[in-house]
Amino acid sequence: MGRKSADSQEELRELFRHHIESFDHLIDSGRSVSGSIRSNVQFALSAASSLGPRPQVFTPIKEQLLRSIKDPVYPFECRQAKTSYTGKFMAEVCFQYDDGAVIRDKLNFGQFPIMLKSKLCNLSGADPQKLVACREEASEMGGCVREDQSSMSVRVYYLRSGSARLGVWIKGREYLLPVGVVLKALVDTTDREIYANLTCCYSEKYGKGKGVVGTQLIGERAQIILDEVQALSLFTRSECLEHIGEHFQPVMEGMENKSYSVVADSILKDYIFVHLDNNHDKFNLLIFMVQKLFSLVDQTSVPDNPDSLQNQEVLLPGHLISIYLKEKLEEWLNKAKKLLQDEINNEGKSFDFCSLAQVKKVMAKNPPKQISSAVENMLKTGRLVTQTGLDLQQRAGFTVQAERLNYLRFLSHFRAVHRGSSFAGLRTTSVRKLLPESWGFLCPVHTPDGEPCGLLNHMTCTCRITSYFDSQGKIRDFFKIRMSILSVLVEVGMSPSLPKLVQAGPPEVLSVLLDGRIVGSISASVIEKVVAHLRRLKVSPTSGIPNDLEVGYVPLSMGGTYPGLYLFTSPARFVRPVKNISIPSSDEQNIELIGPFEQVFMEIKCPDGGDGGRRDSFPATHEEIHPTGVLSVVANLIPWPNHNQSPRNMYQCQMAKQTMGFSLQALHCRADQKLYHLQTPQSPLVRTSTYTKYNMDEYPSGTNAIVAVLAYTGYDMEDAMILNKSSVDRGMFHGQIYQTETIDLSDQRNRSDRVQSVFRRSSVDKSTHSLIDSDGLPYVGQTIKPYEPFCSIYNEVTGATRTMKRKGSEPAVVDYVSINVKNKKKLQKVNIRFRQPRNPIIGDKFSSRHGQKGVCSQLWPDIDMPFSGGTGMRPDLIINPHAFPSRMTIAMLLESVAAKGGSLHGKYVDATPFSGSVKEAKEETESKHPTSLVDELGQMLREKGFNYHGVEVLYSGVYGTELPCEIFIGPVYYQRLRHMVSDKFQVRSTGTIDQVTRQPIKGRKRGGGIRFGEMERDSMLAHGAAYLLHDRLHACSDYHIADVCSLCGSILTTTFHQQQKRIREIGGLPPIKSSKKVTCHACQTGKGMEKVAMPYVFRYLASELASMNIKMTLQVSDSAGA
Amino acid sequence: MEGKSYQRFPKVKIREMKDDFLKFELRDTDASMANALRRVMIAEVPTMAIDLVEIEVNSSVLNDEFIAHRLGLIPLTSDRAMSMRFSRDCDACDGDGQCEFCSVEFHLRAKCISDQTLDVTSKDLYTADHTVVPVDFSDPAADDSGDQRGIIIVKLRRGQELRLRAIARKGIGKDHAKWSPAATVTFMYEPDIRINEELMETLTPEEKRSWVESSPTKVFEFDEDTQQVYVCDAEAYTYDDEVIKKAEAMGKPGLVDITAKEDSFIFTVESTGAIKASQLVLNAIEILKQKLDAVRLSEDTEEADDQFGELGAHMRGG
Repeated sequence: MGRKSADSQEELRELFRHHIESFDHLIDSGRSVSGSIRSNVQFALSAASSLGPRPQVFTPIKEQLLRSIKDPVYPFECRQAKTSYTGKFMAEVCFQYDDGAVIRDKLNFGQFPIMLKSKLCNLSGADPQKLVACREEASEMGGCVREDQSSMSVRVYYLRSGSARLGVWIKGREYLLPVGVVLKALVDTTDREIYANLTCCYSEKYGKGKGVVGTQLIGERAQIILDEVQALSLFTRSECLEHIGEHFQPVMEGMENKSYSVVADSILKDYIFVHLDNNHDKFNLLIFMVQKLFSLVDQTSVPDNPDSLQNQEVLLPGHLISIYLKEKLEEWLNKAKKLLQDEINNEGKSFDFCSLAQVKKVMAKNPPKQISSAVENMLKTGRLVTQTGLDLQQRAGFTVQAERLNYLRFLSHFRAVHRGSSFAGLRTTSVRKLLPESWGFLCPVHTPDGEPCGLLNHMTCTCRITSYFDSQGKIRDFFKIRMSILSVLVEVGMSPSLPKLVQAGPPEVLSVLLDGRIVGSISASVIEKVVAHLRRLKVSPTSGIPNDLEVGYVPLSMGGTYPGLYLFTSPARFVRPVKNISIPSSDEQNIELIGPFEQVFMEIKCPDGGDGGRRDSFPATHEEIHPTGVLSVVANLIPWPNHNQSPRNMYQCQMAKQTMGFSLQALHCRADQKLYHLQTPQSPLVRTSTYTKYNMDEYPSGTNAIVAVLAYTGYDMEDAMILNKSSVDRGMFHGQIYQTETIDLSDQRNRSDRVQSVFRRSSVDKSTHSLIDSDGLPYVGQTIKPYEPFCSIYNEVTGATRTMKRKGSEPAVVDYVSINVKNKKKLQKVNIRFRQPRNPIIGDKFSSRHGQKGVCSQLWPDIDMPFSGGTGMRPDLIINPHAFPSRMTIAMLLESVAAKGGSLHGKYVDATPFSGSVKEAKEETESKHPTSLVDELGQMLREKGFNYHGVEVLYSGVYGTELPCEIFIGPVYYQRLRHMVSDKFQVRSTGTIDQVTRQPIKGRKRGGGIRFGEMERDSMLAHGAAYLLHDRLHACSDYHIADVCSLCGSILTTTFHQQQKRIREIGGLPPIKSSKKVTCHACQTGKGMEKVAMPYVFRYLASELASMNIKMTLQVSDSAGA
Repeated sequence: MEGKSYQRFPKVKIREMKDDFLKFELRDTDASMANALRRVMIAEVPTMAIDLVEIEVNSSVLNDEFIAHRLGLIPLTSDRAMSMRFSRDCDACDGDGQCEFCSVEFHLRAKCISDQTLDVTSKDLYTADHTVVPVDFSDPAADDSGDQRGIIIVKLRRGQELRLRAIARKGIGKDHAKWSPAATVTFMYEPDIRINEELMETLTPEEKRSWVESSPTKVFEFDEDTQQVYVCDAEAYTYDDEVIKKAEAMGKPGLVDITAKEDSFIFTVESTGAIKASQLVLNAIEILKQKLDAVRLSEDTEEADDQFGELGAHMRGG
């Protein structure tokens, strides 16, 4: 058991790894952050200030009460104190004066949030025992932020004239540059060379054969491009640079005084192909892009689909924080520079730049702590406060709270990939489509219904994200990796691109791109061998080729994707393992990690023994490990999803995340806002292999209920279900909600009495003493009813006591009180955890694991339930047979039969999907007896003397007579969902009203009503229910008796007579007779005053209109129709 | 109530009797009678169960309600329950454990002081009344009763403590399942199986064998020596009609005729241990009689109207 659980721990950790690794990388590679900033801040006085070697983040430690002891803070403590889990963030700032010595100064940038279980976390590397000791979950996995995809931002445009433009995004605006100018500006080259390079992909001898991308038009286009440059009278590289610099200088900040060529250089460096640092590479890549563009225009290749996973990467939390941090640091440095400059320019003061103390004084105006608070704020709100936009398509919604409603929901948060909230508003549905490219990487089943459908996806259980760390946990040296790949490529016959030679195009040779850099070309005749060779090296651990290298070989085709060999080593790509069957190697040496780009062009077969309809000319080179690898973890927990109608599996993926399960094992040390907890969960009798793999028994989420499928009382119609009252009495589906209230006296609104408030109960008012102890806090174990006080706060200045009261409609039990003793003098902060018992009642929601949800409509007495003559069993739960025909959840029926058989035989039943197809393939050689699943399950029942089909003869519990037909009955794993009537019911007779309209307010929390709206009104009218209509819309709403002056017809001019004491209107009741005293202010008489009942809003409308100079006149008369 | 008398004299024949198990035949009555008996046994025979728990100290991992619920479900020996009073009817007290007529008080004090986990079980419940104690499930035949420590209530770790006072009251299963003395009560109609021997003889031995095997339970047997099919255990038949369907599928409808005897039932009673299974049946009959008495006594009275509401007039023959 110990060993087994350790294994499943490892499997689980694998699911969370990408989050932690990306954060670790952020911490480790502060260098890359600071390195790119350095050049940015240069001073007029030839003094430079830049950020030092690397910003450092320290492990979280307690604020030092005693100097010498460094006490680590654990996440548990932060959770209780409701603070962030942070570590100190330090960075060195260097000053250099006139090329003199560099002065380094360490600055504290505040507290930086730390991801749980990352390298800096105090729990990193802790084993389960230690975690339990630190009051954490034994299987704590860590991670905290969600991911997002994003794209690159250089575009090439084709003009109708035949030319091309390069689109560059600078500060949120796009600028179009003629390609020719950029090409010439990048390297010293001749028109001849550019022409040759551009036209190399066309050769007359291939005509329109397979794999040809160039057409004869390319020559003309190249000519146009070159003519364009000439028209601008730019001939040399320096002229081109001048040209670019001249146009971009106003846009570039801090470059006002630089020469044009310097500006152009920085444009080329910072905005065009930023991933390449060599201008020759940029030149080659631009040529390649233009060729591809022309090929697209000529329809010799198809466009890449930006919505397909093939061309996407993941934005991981660590990367997001690092780019955000980089921008914030830049901002800070720029501001510091400005401050210093202002100080220097301010001639009135004597400012010695060389005095560190004075510099520091100036810098104090620009507090460094704002950086870490900005990061923390970003994590809290998910909003990026940025000017540039960081090349991301959205500004907000970057974080979601990892709710621990149940374990599956928690886990899914870390496996989710969102397409970006900018797509959510789009009218088109194309981005939401499930494309075949995402096969094996994104789960086709696990996506929510409705608004985020298809945008919020979940990774499959086998899918991983490449990271900066190799399998040993060491940081990868990408330069070294690229060099070794290059040397391998050259060995097998690639002609490198470096000695600049004009190379031929696609039908003959294919370009090789490594991480977006053209490294050379390979002859089309040997490329297949090269690819196979690379794949072989990939899986061998000693080759120096990383195992997650993506070998995207796009073969020659007739107008297909633009051919070439695209290699990727970068992090944040999706990868998944498949078996490479072309390698004859034994054991685990043939598991290859493939990416979504290469997958499209690979031949991967299913391990069912068939060839998947493949032709002999394309034999399968790879094989899936197991078909369940295409499903997410949650979808993998559904028993036999392959027997269900597919939307039902989607519903179950949703509902599995809403179940009230065993959310936490360390429940007693948690201070979460709200936690749902099932008292006596069970392990499902029918389970998939994934269930055991991830050891879901640690967090079970349901009960094996005996389910009978029959229409028994009518209370089970329309998806309602009947629960056996005795089963509920015995503890079935019992649960609790834990709610924590944090009371922080130092956080109270009123600044003046914040110091004087303490927890203490009143010595005068003894009525609360039964609920509140002498320390002002409740007794643990005390039941607190709604609107009863649970804690009392004493104001030391005024001597008044204030009590906090429970809201809601249900009593709760005080489960736990924790106090914060950080402030030694007085107790200021407490957590009080309440426990609400939530045993099943009518209206609670339940569901099986097959998207069959229902509401409990009755708790039916045990004796009235049908019973089995043989065993005497009464069902725990009755559902209606109509739940099946239209929904076709066959797996639920199978589960019932299998669980019945399993419980009779005393074993769990394996319900792994598609296992039949795998098994058959293996068994085919041995025996020719493919038994169907139903046969297998039926046989189990038959052996124990039960009906083969899972039906039983039941007797009516009321009459004791045999029911007219046999009833399908058996155990099904049922989940209790978190939607409970106790949280939802809404009832009101009278209560609070709106101040303006005097109509009942809305909102369950405030005791409001439910709106009787226009459509309800329409139906009342249609039925002619006039009295009811009047009752709802008038009598029970804003009934009002107004005084109307029949002379002038106004309801607003009413005044009460001076001598008369004012009588306040009470509610809807008419005021005490005082008609004589009411006068019309306009007519100066009370003669024509009449009482008219009307909705109060009508009066309000009259006054609103009056404010716009519109008078409303009422004609009051006695007889109808007069 | 004139006219024909429907009075019958049901007979009971006990087949098998253990402390917590009883199997008997009930003859010469009808389904309504049999089902009434079943329903009363499950829901209306009174027992004792812990109903009120006052927790003094609970530092265990389970919360107060959970422990109280678990305590309630522990079966208590309730032979005295029939003669006790419901605490709501008790004049002597208000059911707080002070009165011997309606309630029994229990105490539980457990604290773990060793490093080993301490199991708090039903054996740790102490009471002054020896007639109402947690049911002892240890097998008297097996001597090593040291291991058998009753029903586990909670497990305690070092330093954890549980101290409480619990009051057991009389109640019925209708109110809460914890008062139900029956684990299972079921009955079936006695089947009457007649094999059409003439038609049976037309079958080959293989056909006979396969027909016999078509029943999931062992109702029929095929004698290899005599090549005859005979009924070996009629009561094993679950009215699943499998053999009839099989016969039809073989083209021999009417091969066997199975009917349920309308007036003969086979009861299986399993007790939770609160009272003996035999006593459970007797108590049930007693309660059934009391209920019928209540109906008879209220005949033709004004109360009858109140008691039965709209049915009152109907019951008086109106």
